[in-house]
Amino acid sequence: MDSLTLPSIFITLIVYIAAIKLAKRFPSPFTTPILTATAVIIVILSSLGISYYQYTPAKDWMTFMLGPATVALAVPMYKNQKIIKDKLKPAVWGLMIGTISTITSAVWLTKALGLSDRFQATSAVKAVTTPVAIEAAVLIGGNPPLAAAFVITAGIFGAVLGPIILSLVKITDPFSRGLGIGTVSHGIGTSQIMMEGPVQGAVSSLAMGAAAIITSIILPWIYPLIHF
Amino acid sequence: MKNGFLFLGQLFFIWLIYAFSKYIVETFHIPIPSSVLGIIILYIMLTCKVIQVRFIEKGAAFLNKHLGFFFIPIAVGLMNYGELIKTHGLQLLLMIGFSTIIGLVITAGTTQYLTKKQENSTGRDKTYHGQSHSA
Repeated sequence: MDSLTLPSIFITLIVYIAAIKLAKRFPSPFTTPILTATAVIIVILSSLGISYYQYTPAKDWMTFMLGPATVALAVPMYKNQKIIKDKLKPAVWGLMIGTISTITSAVWLTKALGLSDRFQATSAVKAVTTPVAIEAAVLIGGNPPLAAAFVITAGIFGAVLGPIILSLVKITDPFSRGLGIGTVSHGIGTSQIMMEGPVQGAVSSLAMGAAAIITSIILPWIYPLIHF
Repeated sequence: MKNGFLFLGQLFFIWLIYAFSKYIVETFHIPIPSSVLGIIILYIMLTCKVIQVRFIEKGAAFLNKHLGFFFIPIAVGLMNYGELIKTHGLQLLLMIGFSTIIGLVITAGTTQYLTKKQENSTGRDKTYHGQSHSA
């Protein structure tokens, strides 16, 4: 543990606590803690001249429990297993059609915006959780570190604007809301929609896992079909 | 004091399931993330009553509540992409934003449409609004 590790952890914790307080005080998509905390920490580190490389040991300490925290999502899933069983058929259709449209729209939008092949292949994996995104990106000629950046951005975007967009298009059913967020914004979206209610959190966790599995299976054969 | 140890024990137990999943994924090259396998294992243990949900409830609720925290140090990694953001940032944000909206609305819209159809055809009123299991 070097001299920057403890201060970096301290800064991150303080900013996180402050971000949560801010979100409670002024509830708005733009006070979503993942957005405000990330932005503030980047500004602090940059102004102190600390690079991400120097922040990495602190990051490794703090993300030690990310895997276990994700595993703990099994508890809300277990508690809501009845509703999941009842709505399994709509959920499977939603997941399949949704995953395909997320992948296709990303690839076509990248093409339409005049970005290169490398961006196109990487954009296809942006909706799923990082470890799967990295491996799936390699299979179709994408770039793993870039995939991680896309995944984080898609997660934050969905966490911040996802709930409000769903309300705008009158998707009010908690089950469907959770399923949509988990499918397009993985764990980051799940951590946010969990605050809306236990059903949303449980279904989002399920969707996150299912979308990752579906994407890694279908991507190698769907990508050549939609990529031109 | 006793509660504190119990809480830490619960966190340790959940960590243990993750560590086990990680070992399985790495040893047998299973193409899913360790955390997703961990969810499946814990879910099966709960469903088959290998463990009671109350045995891990407090620890799990804590981790659920602060799941967002663990993503922040990773998201800070975006600071490495300053150059890319300058050159392609707007296009990439447009792509990610629109594609996320399209995927979200299609996924949730399909599910809500089919759910309503299913409820109408069975003729039972199944609204789960407000169903809460918070401890």
